[in-house]
Amino acid sequence: MPPSASPAKRTTASPRKSQSSQNPGEKRKTPAKEKDKDGPPPGRDIRNFFAQPRTTAAGVGSAPAKSAASANGTGTGKRPITIDDSDEDEPIESKPPIKTENKPRASTTSKHFTSTSSSSNRPIVLDDTPSPPPKSAAKPSAPKSSSKAPAAAPSKPMPLKRKVIDSDDSDGGSRAGAGTGVRSKPNKRQSIGVGRRAVAKGKVNYLESSDEEEEEEEEEEVEVKPTVVAKGKKKEPSPMEIDDDEDDPDDFDDDDFDDEDADDLPKKSKSKTGAKPPPKPAAASGATKKSSTPKKVSAAATKKAVKEETATTPKASASSKAGGKSVQAKKEKEIDGDEADGGVKKEKQKFDWRAAAAARSAGPRAPGSKEIPEGAPNCLEGMTFVFTGELDSLGRDDAVELVKRYSGKVTGAPSGKTTFVVVGENAGASKLNKIKEKDIPTLDEDGFLNLIRTSSGPVLDEKAIKAREKEEKKIAEQAREMEKKEREGESERRRKEKALKGTGIAAKKVAPASAQLWTTKYAPTNVKEICGNKANVDRLLSWLQDWDKNYKSGFKKPGKDGMGMYRAVLISGPPGIGKTTSAHITAKLAGYSPIELNASDTRSKKLIENSTNIDNTSLDGFLHGGSLQSTTVAGVKVDSKTCLIMDEVDGMSAGDRGGVGALNVLIKKTRIPMILICNDRTLQKMKPLQSTTFNMTFRRPQPQEIRSRIMSILFKEKMKIPPNVVDELIKGTNSDIRQVLNMLSTFKLGKSEMDFDEGKQLIKINEKNTILTPFTIIDRLTHPYAFSKTNKESLNEKSELYFHDISFVPLFMQEHYLKTQPAALSSFEGQEHTMKHLERVSKAADWISDGDLIDRMIHGSEQHWSLLPLHAIASTVAPAFNIYGGMRSTGGPGGWGPSFPQWLGQNSKQGKLQRQLTDIQIRMRLRVSGSRQEIREQYMPMLASRIVLPLAKDGSEAIESTIETMDEYFLSKDDWDAFVELGVDTMNGDAILKKIPTATKTAFTRQYNKADHPIAFHKGDMFAMAKKKIADIGPAPDNDEVFEEDEPVPDDDEGANGEDEGLNDVSKDRLIKEVKKKADKAAKGKKK
Amino acid sequence: MSLWVDKYRPRTLDDLHYHEQLSSRLRSLAASGDFPHILFYGPSGAGKKTRIMCTLRELYGPGVEKLRIDQRVFVTPSNRKLDVNVVQSNYHIELTPSDVGMYDRVVIQDILKEIAQTQQVDLNAKQRFKVVIINEADALTRDAQAALRRTMEKYMTNMRLILCANSTSKIIAPIRSRCLLVRVAAPTDEEMGKVLTHVAKKERIHLPDPASQSIIATSQGNLRKALLVFEAMRMQKPDLTGDIDVAKPDWETYCNKVADSILQEQSAQRLLDTIAERMVEKVDDQLKEQIVHWAAYYELRMRMGSKKIFHIEAFIAKVMTVYKNYMMMGLAPDLDEV
Repeated sequence: MPPSASPAKRTTASPRKSQSSQNPGEKRKTPAKEKDKDGPPPGRDIRNFFAQPRTTAAGVGSAPAKSAASANGTGTGKRPITIDDSDEDEPIESKPPIKTENKPRASTTSKHFTSTSSSSNRPIVLDDTPSPPPKSAAKPSAPKSSSKAPAAAPSKPMPLKRKVIDSDDSDGGSRAGAGTGVRSKPNKRQSIGVGRRAVAKGKVNYLESSDEEEEEEEEEEVEVKPTVVAKGKKKEPSPMEIDDDEDDPDDFDDDDFDDEDADDLPKKSKSKTGAKPPPKPAAASGATKKSSTPKKVSAAATKKAVKEETATTPKASASSKAGGKSVQAKKEKEIDGDEADGGVKKEKQKFDWRAAAAARSAGPRAPGSKEIPEGAPNCLEGMTFVFTGELDSLGRDDAVELVKRYSGKVTGAPSGKTTFVVVGENAGASKLNKIKEKDIPTLDEDGFLNLIRTSSGPVLDEKAIKAREKEEKKIAEQAREMEKKEREGESERRRKEKALKGTGIAAKKVAPASAQLWTTKYAPTNVKEICGNKANVDRLLSWLQDWDKNYKSGFKKPGKDGMGMYRAVLISGPPGIGKTTSAHITAKLAGYSPIELNASDTRSKKLIENSTNIDNTSLDGFLHGGSLQSTTVAGVKVDSKTCLIMDEVDGMSAGDRGGVGALNVLIKKTRIPMILICNDRTLQKMKPLQSTTFNMTFRRPQPQEIRSRIMSILFKEKMKIPPNVVDELIKGTNSDIRQVLNMLSTFKLGKSEMDFDEGKQLIKINEKNTILTPFTIIDRLTHPYAFSKTNKESLNEKSELYFHDISFVPLFMQEHYLKTQPAALSSFEGQEHTMKHLERVSKAADWISDGDLIDRMIHGSEQHWSLLPLHAIASTVAPAFNIYGGMRSTGGPGGWGPSFPQWLGQNSKQGKLQRQLTDIQIRMRLRVSGSRQEIREQYMPMLASRIVLPLAKDGSEAIESTIETMDEYFLSKDDWDAFVELGVDTMNGDAILKKIPTATKTAFTRQYNKADHPIAFHKGDMFAMAKKKIADIGPAPDNDEVFEEDEPVPDDDEGANGEDEGLNDVSKDRLIKEVKKKADKAAKGKKK
Repeated sequence: MSLWVDKYRPRTLDDLHYHEQLSSRLRSLAASGDFPHILFYGPSGAGKKTRIMCTLRELYGPGVEKLRIDQRVFVTPSNRKLDVNVVQSNYHIELTPSDVGMYDRVVIQDILKEIAQTQQVDLNAKQRFKVVIINEADALTRDAQAALRRTMEKYMTNMRLILCANSTSKIIAPIRSRCLLVRVAAPTDEEMGKVLTHVAKKERIHLPDPASQSIIATSQGNLRKALLVFEAMRMQKPDLTGDIDVAKPDWETYCNKVADSILQEQSAQRLLDTIAERMVEKVDDQLKEQIVHWAAYYELRMRMGSKKIFHIEAFIAKVMTVYKNYMMMGLAPDLDEV
C-alpha cells in the first residue's frame, strides 16, 4: 500500500499548488519537489483517498502492503489508481511502485472485467500488457517500461484542457465514457462529451465541435499545448489526468486533479508519442465497457488499434466532426479487437450477481464524499440517463433525483435513445454488453457531476426542440379550449339565470367557474379528456351501448370482449384516477342518465331493494302519492334509460348491513345497467360480486398521460411550473390526478411559480397524511443510506418515524438490529469486521436497553410521557444509526424483508408459562412453601424425575407411581402437561414428549381420568369440566354450594397427624372421605 | 410419597434445627400477646416460610395448618378480570400479590382492606387479630407498598402482617420501619449436614460423608435444594457411594450451554447470573472482572426495565465484544473507560 499511496498523495496534494502556478515549464521541474514538499498533506490525502473508496484499511494502517493490496482487490476502482501512481512516480520512487503495480494487476484484472467498473482503470491495464505500445513492447517483461507508457499517455492530456479533451476522445474515450471529459470545464467539456457521443450516433449539434478539432490536433502536438491550457483551465486537465492515471476521479476534487496534471507533465515529456497509442485502445475498450482483460489483448490487436489510430488522427484534425467520427470508428475497431482477444477471457467477465447485489445493498462506499454541484436549471433537459452499478458517493435514488431536478430523464435499461450511461462499480453485465453493442457514451460519477456543474443549459437537437414546441402548442391549445368551454358554461349559466329570473322558478345554482374547485372545474367532460385507461373506458362505453341488446338476448351472448354476459361492471382501482368520472361520462355518452349512490347515501338492504326497484309492483309509491311508473332513488326518477352507479361499494359497512348481498341480488335481476366502483375488489366482502359483475381494473395513468393535461390547466391558470416538477408531483402522488389538482390549487393561493424543491416539499407535506406501517418504517430507518451523508432526513424526521407507532417501532428495531450488515463497516474485513460489527451491535443493544428503561419510566407508575422523544431516540433512532445497512436474509419463511417482532410471541409465551407455573405453584402450595421461581428451579428438576422421566423410561409401569406423586402434590393432568412444557434443554417439552411412547401417554391419560383425584381447590373455569366427569360417577354435586364453601381441602395425612381437628368444619372432612372412597373404589376396580 | 423436603418439614418452632436463638425469640414474641408486623427476609431455601408457619402455629395452634386455597376474582380499573390465589386457614391468609404483576396495588387495596376490616368473630380464638402473609414482598411495586403503609397502621387491631422477602432493598423504608425485621440466614454447612443426617436417619438410610459434602457444596446454603438433591441422588444410586455427580437441573445446564456458545462463537435474572457465573469459570482472569461487572450492570437494568430479554441481549452483545476484543488484541478494555 505505501508505495501506491504516496502517488495518490501527490496527486491530491499537488492540485493546490499547481493551480496557483500553472506554468508548464515550472511544473515539469517541480514534480519531484512537489512530492517531497507535500509530504504531510499526502498523508491526509491518502487517507481521503482510501476513505473514499470507503474503507479505511489503509488509514487504519494495520494492514501493510498486503492488506492494501487485498483491499484494492475488492474495489476495482482503487487499484487502477495505485498503479497509475506508481507509474508516475517511477522517476522518483523507483521500486516500490513497481511492485505494487504488479500485484494489483494480477489480482485485479479479472475483477475489473467482471465488474466492468469505470473505464478509467483499463487503460492502465493495457499498458501493463507488454504488447500494446511499441515502446513497451520492446520491454514487455519490465514492469517499469510498461508503467512508463501509461504515464506518458496521461501526461499528454493533462496539460491542456483541450488536450484533456483529446485524451478523452482518443485515450480517454473509454474513460470519457466515464465522463471525465465532460466534467472538466463547464460547457466545453460537457459539450465535447456530448459531441462525441452524438457523433457516434450520427447526431450533429455541438457547440464545441471546434474544440474537438482542436483536441485532435493537440493530440499530436501534445506537449506544446498543455502549458497554455493548463493556466486557462485548471479543472479540465485534472479530469483527464485522473482518467489517464487511472485514479478514480470520484475520490478527488477537481483541485486535486489539477495538481496531478502538473506532475504528469514532466512525465509526458519523457514519454514518447508512440506510447500514446496504447492508452487509446485501452480507453476505447473501457468506453465500451467491455474492457476485456487488458492483459489478454493481444499484441496484434493493439498494434492494429494503434495503426488505425494514427490513420484516423489526421482526419480528425481535418474536421472536427469527422474527427469525432473517426475516433469513434477507431474505438469500435479497437473494441472489436479486444473482443476477439477477450473471447478467451470470457470466463472472467462472468458477473457475480450475488456480490453485486450485496454491494448494491451496501450503498455508496463514500456517501457524501463529493460535493453535489449546483447546475443551471434544466441543464440536463433532453438527455436520457441510465444508471448502472454502484456510484461512489451518490445513492441511486439521489442520483436519479439529481437528474430529474435538471429535467433529465432516467430509464432503466440502456437503449439507442440513451444519452449517457452512468457507470459505477459492479455494473450489471447485461447493461455493459448493451452499452458496448449500442456504443452508448458512458460517464463515471465525477463525469456525471461535472456534467451538471458545467452544463449551461439544455442541449437539444432540433427534433427535441420541435417536439417541445409542439407540446407547448398543444398545451396552449388545450388551455384555450378549456377557457372557451368555461366561457360557454358561464354564458349558459347567465342565460339560464336570466331566463328564469322573471318566472319565479328557482334556478339551479351553479357556482361561477372561478369559485369552483379545480377538480370540478377541470373535470373531464368527454371521453377524450379522461387521462389514462383509455381501453377500459372504451370497453365500458361499448358495454353500455350494447346493454339493451344484451338485455333482450338475456345476457347469453358474451360479445367480442365477453362483457355481454354481465348486467353490471365492477370498476376497481386506486383513488383519484378517474373511475367515477369515467363512469359518469360514458353513461352520459351512451345515452343513459347516471344516478350515483355513494357512501354518503344509506345503502342498506331494504333501501336497495325498495329504491332501485324499477318495475315497482308494490303500492308503496301509490300510497305515498308518488308516480307509479318509476321509483325514486335519491330523488331522481329511475326509468329504463337510467344507469345506476354505485360508488364506493367497498365502503358499504356497518350501517349498510346486508348491502353487498342485496346489491348482488339486485344485479342478478336488474333491468338497468349498473356500474359498481370500489378501490379494492379483493376484499372479502366484495366476494359475492366477483361472479356477477365484469371486473374492470383501472390502473394509475402514466405520468406522461396526466402531464399534458395538468400542464394545460397550469397554463390556463397562469402558473409557471416546469414539466419536471409536474412530473415529480404526479409521481409523488402516485398519479392521483385529483390530489395533484388540489395541491396545485392550494399552492396557487400563495405563489404561481414552483421550483423543484418546492415541489418536493409539497409532495412531502401531502405524503405525511399516510401512516406508515412498522415494516416500512424499519426499512426506512435501516436502509443502507439511512444515515449516510447524502441522506437529508434530519434527526427529527427520523424520530418522527417512531411516532407513527410508538409501541411497535421499537420492537421492530429490536427484532432487526442483528439482521443488518452495517453499511458503515463495508471497509473492514475478516476478523476486524466481526469485531467492529460486534461493537456496533453492542452499542445498539445498549441503546435498546436504555430505551427499555425509559419505556419503563413512561409506562410505569411514573408516567413520564414527556420522555417519549428520548425514547424515540434511544429505542429506535440510535440503534438504527449504529447498524443501518442492507438487511441480511431474515431466514424466515419470507426470506427477505422485515419480519414481525418475535418479542410479542415470546412475551405471550412467557406469560403463559408464567401462568402455568403459578397454577402449579398454588396447587403445590399446600405441600410446598416455595415461590414460583423456587418451584421451577429446585422442585421441578426433582419432580420431573418422579413424574415425567419414569414414563419415558419405564413406560406404562410407571403410570401408577406417577399418578400417586401427582396426587400427593395436587397436580392434575393439565398441570402435568404444563409441567412438561416448562422444561428446557434436555427436558424440553417436545423432546420429552417424543420419548414417551404414545401408548404410554394414552394409557396415562386414561388411567388418570379413571380415578378421582384430590384437588387443592376449584378454579372458576373448572366447573364446566368437573360437571361432566362427576356426572359419570354419580349425582353431580351442587356446584354453587361448593363454590361458596371455599373448596374443601382433601387432607388425608393431616387428619392422621393432628388430633386437634376440633375447629375444622365437618363438611370438609366428609368431602374428603367421599373422594377417598371413590378413589379407593377406582383403585380396587383396577386391581380386579 | 411426599418428597423428603415436604415430609420432614418442621412444624413447630421446637423442631427447627438451626437458628435456635431466632426460634426462641419468635416463641416469646408469639407468647407476648403483642405481636408486631414482621418482615422475614433471607435467601431462598433458608427456611423463612417454615419459620413463619411454625410461628403461626405457636400463635394459634395446629388450626393454622388446615390450609385451603381460594381464588378471588377482582376487576382492575381497566376492566380486566384477574384471579388471585389466596391460601388461608381460619386464622391467617396468605397472598402473593406479585402474581398479578402491575395490578398488585389493586390486590392490596381491595383484598387486604377487606380482610383487615373484618374482625375476628370467634371469641374463643387465641388472638384477636388475623395474620396476613404477603409473599414475595420485594416484588411488590412501589404503589402497592405505598398502599400498604396506611393499612398497616389503621387496622393493627384486626390484622398483623408478615412480609416474606429475599431482600429488604426493594422494600420502601416506611414499611421497613413499621416491621420487625427478622433475618433468616442460610444455614451453615454444618447445620445443613445436621439436617441431612436427621433426614437420613428418619429414612433409615446411611448417608456417607462424601455424599453429604457434595450435596452441601452444590446446594450453596439452600436447604430445600439440598434435600431435593439428596433425594435425587438417592434415587439414582441407592447406596450413595462412589463418586456421585449431582445432576444439575435442566435450566442450569441450559444456561451453561448458552454461556458456552457465547464464548465459542461471537458472531432472566437467574439466567443472567448463571450465564455470567459459567462464563467467569471459563474465561481468563483478566476478563472475569469485566463479565461480573457487566452482569451486574445489566441485571440492574433488567430489574428496572420491563423487557428483560432486551437487557440480556445487550449483556451478551457486550460480553461478546469484550471477549472478542480480548481475543484479538489480547487486552481487556479498562472498565473506567467504559
